[in-house]
Amino acid sequence: MRILEYVLLIFLILCAIGATVSKRLLVTVIIFMAYSTVMAVIWLFLEAPDLAITEAAVGAGVTSILFFLTLKKVDSINKGTREK
Amino acid sequence: MIIRAVLASVFLLSGAFVFSVCVLGLFRFNNVLDRMHAAALGDTMGIFLTILGVIILSDNIYQIVKLALIVIFIWMTSPVATHLIGKMELLTSDNKKFRKGRNIK
Amino acid sequence: MDYKSDPNKIGKWERFFKWVNGEDSIDSVWEKEMRSKITGKRKKRRKTIEDTIERINSYSKKIYIILSVFITVVYIGILLYTVYELPEHGNPLNPANNEVSQRYIEHGVEETGALNIVSAMILDYRAFDTFGETVVLFTAVICVAILLRRTDEDKTDLEQDSFKSDRGDILKFAARLVFPIVVLYGIYVIINGHISPGGGFAGGTIIGAGLILYSAAFGDEKIKSILNYKSITVTTVSCLLIYFFSKGYSFFTGGNHIESVIPKGTPGNILSGGLILPLNICVGIVVACTMYGFYSYFTKGDI
Repeated sequence: MRILEYVLLIFLILCAIGATVSKRLLVTVIIFMAYSTVMAVIWLFLEAPDLAITEAAVGAGVTSILFFLTLKKVDSINKGTREK
Repeated sequence: MIIRAVLASVFLLSGAFVFSVCVLGLFRFNNVLDRMHAAALGDTMGIFLTILGVIILSDNIYQIVKLALIVIFIWMTSPVATHLIGKMELLTSDNKKFRKGRNIK
Repeated sequence: MDYKSDPNKIGKWERFFKWVNGEDSIDSVWEKEMRSKITGKRKKRRKTIEDTIERINSYSKKIYIILSVFITVVYIGILLYTVYELPEHGNPLNPANNEVSQRYIEHGVEETGALNIVSAMILDYRAFDTFGETVVLFTAVICVAILLRRTDEDKTDLEQDSFKSDRGDILKFAARLVFPIVVLYGIYVIINGHISPGGGFAGGTIIGAGLILYSAAFGDEKIKSILNYKSITVTTVSCLLIYFFSKGYSFFTGGNHIESVIPKGTPGNILSGGLILPLNICVGIVVACTMYGFYSYFTKGDI
């Protein structure tokens, strides 16, 4: 169980770095979604199931939908590269 | 008891094998539809095998029902998501192979 | 300089008199010269300005990268130092394990009637804090409405068509199967908020996600019969008012709650916990309406 926790934490850090580094905004949002899902599992390990449910529903579900809608609104799903 | 453990471990290991094949396919394939096929394999078959192993191991009837409900829910939602992604790929990709299928609703 | 010797050049005073008299004989050669001189200066100046801007940009990019890396490293260092200084996780001598949490854990069940201590804390002992959180959500949806709300006149025809388009039968079938399950699970999480992990926020978000799924699958028209601007406003505001009138007096009386008329019931039953269940339902309704409101304002610009 301890090893799984460490693996999840390392994945969390990698997700955080990937979300900032990636060039396309769509990829950033998807990586952020993965971050929220892993964070929900970590809340479960920290014995906070309330927060796990809320994080899975808000972070991975609704927030990602709102991000996608915003990207669609500003027309940057396909061409949305960050300025260098 | 031993039979149950062996059966459960067989199912769990096969589930892990399916997941590893799914991840390998996700990284190995180039085309979107091929990759999607690999991901959908993990979503349906891998989860079914894994949860079947856990069901065999569990004693409580409520746990078994909850796990079965998880399988049913994922089998209802995940293929639909895969279908929608595939439809989107068909409608918007630049690949010439797919231009014939543009009229699919 | 002797101006008279050069026929093309006239003295300054002469030129001035001629200009005052309105004569047109001011030599254009001189003017052109001056003009070309001035514009040349200007061009030169503009060039140097552009150069400096480019130079500043290139420098600032380098400085920006260096500064961002520096600030991030410093921030990571501060956070890691804080984590290093934190007391050990799960140690009974931690400062967090004081008499307050002891009271909550030991007397929580008999005082509130809720098995879930977190729910007992956020909806009974510290209910006014949760009221603040709910009001924050309501304020957020008001801000989104101010920023993104559009009337029918603002919409173009193309936008209106795009929300009536056909979504496909497979998605509709799956949504018809999944939507009741999602909403039922959300209701389960809300109603069991004082018995098992969960509560108003989690369940409300799940119901909101179900409503978003329904609206995405079946389009705008079907959901508008139940959830329109008026009904969402009325339900949200009435839930907030119920919450305020049941727990808002804590702002004035402090932590001493008025003795509740509602019986506590047996801990573990669904109908127990006094006011916790209705407050959970209120929070859940507010959160669900907020989530759906966010979605519909972001897509259609209108509920």
